[in-house]
Amino acid sequence: MPQLVPPDVAFLPMLPILLVLAGALISTLLGFWVSRRTLTAINIVTVILSGASMMYLWNRGLTSFAGSLQADNAAVLLGLTILVGTLMTLLVSLDTAWRERVSFPEFDAMMMYAVTGCLLIVFSGDLIIMLIGLEIMSLAGYVLATFQGSRRAEESGLKYFLLGAVGSATLIYGIAFVYGATGSLNYAAIAAKVGSVSNLTPDNAGILVGGSLLLLAGFGFKIALVPFHQWTPDVYSGTSTTTFLFLSTVIKVAAFAGMLRVFGGALHDAPGWTSVLQVLTAATLIIGNTAALLQVNFKRMLAYSAVAHTGFLAMCLLGTPELGGAALGYYLLVYTLMTGAALAVLAALQRTEAGFEISDMRGLYYRHPGYAIALSVCLASLAGLPPFAGFFGKYLAFQAAFQNGYVWISVLAAITSVAALIYYLRPAMLMFMPDRTPAREYLHGQRFPTTFTVGLGVAGITVLGILPNVWYSWVANPAIWQFLAGR
Amino acid sequence: MFDPQWLPTIMIFLPLLGSLLILITPNRWRDEVAGFMAAVTLGLGMMIWYAGGSGLLSLNWIPSLGITYSVELSGVSLALAMVTAFMSFIAVLYAARRIPNPGTMLALILAMETGLLGIFAARDLILFYVFFEDALLPSLLMLAIYGKAHRMRALVKFAAYTLFGSLLMLVSIIGVRYLGGSPTFALVDLKQHLVTGPAQTWLYIGFLTAMAVKLPLWPLHAWLPDFHEQNHDSGIPDVMGTLYKVGGYGLFTFAIPLFPDASLELRPILMGLAAFTALYSAWIAFGQKDWKRLLAYAGLSHMGFVALGVFSLNETAVIGAMYLLAFQNLYTGALFLSVGMVQERIGSLDTRVGGLMTGAGALGGMTMALWFASIAVPGFAGFIGEFSVLLGAYQVSPWLAFVAGLTVIAAAAYALTAFQTTFWQSRPLGGVVVRDLVHTEWLILGLPLAVAIFFGVYSAPALNLMQPAVKSVLAALGGN
Repeated sequence: MPQLVPPDVAFLPMLPILLVLAGALISTLLGFWVSRRTLTAINIVTVILSGASMMYLWNRGLTSFAGSLQADNAAVLLGLTILVGTLMTLLVSLDTAWRERVSFPEFDAMMMYAVTGCLLIVFSGDLIIMLIGLEIMSLAGYVLATFQGSRRAEESGLKYFLLGAVGSATLIYGIAFVYGATGSLNYAAIAAKVGSVSNLTPDNAGILVGGSLLLLAGFGFKIALVPFHQWTPDVYSGTSTTTFLFLSTVIKVAAFAGMLRVFGGALHDAPGWTSVLQVLTAATLIIGNTAALLQVNFKRMLAYSAVAHTGFLAMCLLGTPELGGAALGYYLLVYTLMTGAALAVLAALQRTEAGFEISDMRGLYYRHPGYAIALSVCLASLAGLPPFAGFFGKYLAFQAAFQNGYVWISVLAAITSVAALIYYLRPAMLMFMPDRTPAREYLHGQRFPTTFTVGLGVAGITVLGILPNVWYSWVANPAIWQFLAGR
Repeated sequence: MFDPQWLPTIMIFLPLLGSLLILITPNRWRDEVAGFMAAVTLGLGMMIWYAGGSGLLSLNWIPSLGITYSVELSGVSLALAMVTAFMSFIAVLYAARRIPNPGTMLALILAMETGLLGIFAARDLILFYVFFEDALLPSLLMLAIYGKAHRMRALVKFAAYTLFGSLLMLVSIIGVRYLGGSPTFALVDLKQHLVTGPAQTWLYIGFLTAMAVKLPLWPLHAWLPDFHEQNHDSGIPDVMGTLYKVGGYGLFTFAIPLFPDASLELRPILMGLAAFTALYSAWIAFGQKDWKRLLAYAGLSHMGFVALGVFSLNETAVIGAMYLLAFQNLYTGALFLSVGMVQERIGSLDTRVGGLMTGAGALGGMTMALWFASIAVPGFAGFIGEFSVLLGAYQVSPWLAFVAGLTVIAAAAYALTAFQTTFWQSRPLGGVVVRDLVHTEWLILGLPLAVAIFFGVYSAPALNLMQPAVKSVLAALGGN
């Protein structure tokens, strides 16, 4: 008679996820009785508690479900980044959700479900957990994008759903291939099986290559890698700005974390995917940056800038896991802070959900000096100008790619950065130009939570720019990234 | 006793502190705060000079990336920093009087001073890059806030050129350390781990692109005239802008020691480009009808000389180039301010107004003296620089020295023609009464002129400061 083996369930490593899930469940259930603002406050508390529990898990290397869920240091660092983005979204939504017509409890519930999914990806130890996380995240994301009852939002939500579903399907297909090639879904087992390129253990290397390319395409949809980026500008600029903030920071961080787990860990030695990824990265850098250059709407420009940043972030994946992981860990936090703060300013000032035209920004400095300075700091950081943290993010990405032999892509990134500088600079400089037209209308927007979010972001990118060690010394330890697949 | 190694750091960040302080000072005290900060910074520079330069201060900034905070002010860098501090003080002095409600401008001047001093003091490549980009932000803001109608185009052009170069430089910087295998980005370490072979040439080209844009060297100069033309009439942003020409310095301090073989290899091409830039821009300057564009091209021509000196890798020429680089800021900067004064009086920057001399004799006299300095009349600092460059370049390539030498004649032509049509000739009918120099304006033009004359007549202090530095840099070439 076969022995019944009880599953290895440890709750401690799951605690951060469970806390966020609790927030989601509370929002779902209490939504009938309590106002949304109260729920948002509760969610902020659960997010902070979740962050605290992650810090408790630091250096413990706990696992659950026999390694399918791993709370290693990489998970903690990327999870904290996700929580920072979530916190910024929640704070901004306190002020703007009502105006954006998404002020109902479901908004908070969906967001917290999405974060639960994101954290599952980050903590994943095998492809199934990753897929579950990804699906929870994506489904909640589709709903979020559609929430605001407008034609634009419906269109963007539908687009997001259809293309996202294709992405998910591709991803699942890829998982099946990888399973077929290696006989396992566990990252560590896959990595052990794949071994190194020279002595590839699976006989069916072709299937492995096919699987990893399908996985790459699936992830490409989620992180908006060209040519899978088509939905991004429409979805980001079609939804409410708060949702844009959430989708472009939290979801992207989670998708990159998943890629890091899969490609930096499990499939790192698999053949083929790097050469495809470098071509896609190059295309992303070129198309993202040049398309952003042509935008006249500020929100749409930020949407394309998110695509362009995908290119820079993907360069980190081309590095070795030690360098690339560290670079990605630093860059993702900085990206979250700067994008979050820029969108928070936009959310506070825009009149309609379409954002405003870039030319409307003329003279902003003379009407809202604080926001104008904050926004220009964010834009300078996004452009990669020191002393702001975006510079070190870019630098680390260049370095990771360069040291792994991708010199040409570093040079290409440098050249496309010039386009990036121009489209970030134009609005930033317009803000400081005196405006001779009659006063433009901006919303007053100066409510405490938004201002606090903006302050948090700006302080973050300034401090991390002048003293990158504050965060980089945590992520720089190569030991963290050596065991992305688990051990 | 206080450790003098920290003096450069204080000197670098004091203006930035002042700039932040201005934002919270009440309006009526802003001029005084800015002036005080600029004066103290200059005083600190004097202290360092008196002590014979500071030692190298090196701290670990980001140990995990091998990035250090290494600063040193000595030799050439000290001379350039002193001139920067001096001209910033002059700019503050003028801005306080000329610009209504000057708080923002003063803050930007001081912020930019920090960037420039940092560039000259940095002895770590990443730190150098950081300051290199930092100096960009205030200058862009000056252009955006105080510029003229077409500033957006000028701004985008300027930023695009600059960033294009400096991002390639960033890739080169990564390459220099990675391919050379140096533990840190500090210049000391990098010098001991040089990259060799063709990789060095490629990295040099990446580095050179940034410096050529900043210098600027033909054909990467197109941003410069627009940048100056669209800036505020007073010429204050231009003073900071001329200080911005850190290309020659960067080549000297970083490019020669780090890429010795490549700089020897590319020497003929680069010298040719430099000589062409000098002559070509002097020729273009001759055709300009706007004082600011004229001065921009004149500055470009001087920078061609600087580049010729640096690229020739000859000791005399390099010293001359550094001398020119340092003191060119004085008279070109002061000329921009004098043009600003002319504009303030007659409301035009045209070079053909005529008859200014009747009302404003002192302004005309000062301007003429500054022009003499600019076209390298003996007795002014410019002469020593240009003469040394030509002398040194002649030993390397007589023909190119000859071509560059023609520039001196061209310079006299454009400078004196423009001066003549503005200040002499007949006074236009119905012309306004032109006020002569008043109050601090005497100091604003007089002080730089006095310094230019002093170092033109008595060059020993500056030469003694620069010579050892140049010798040690050229020693990297293996006694060429």
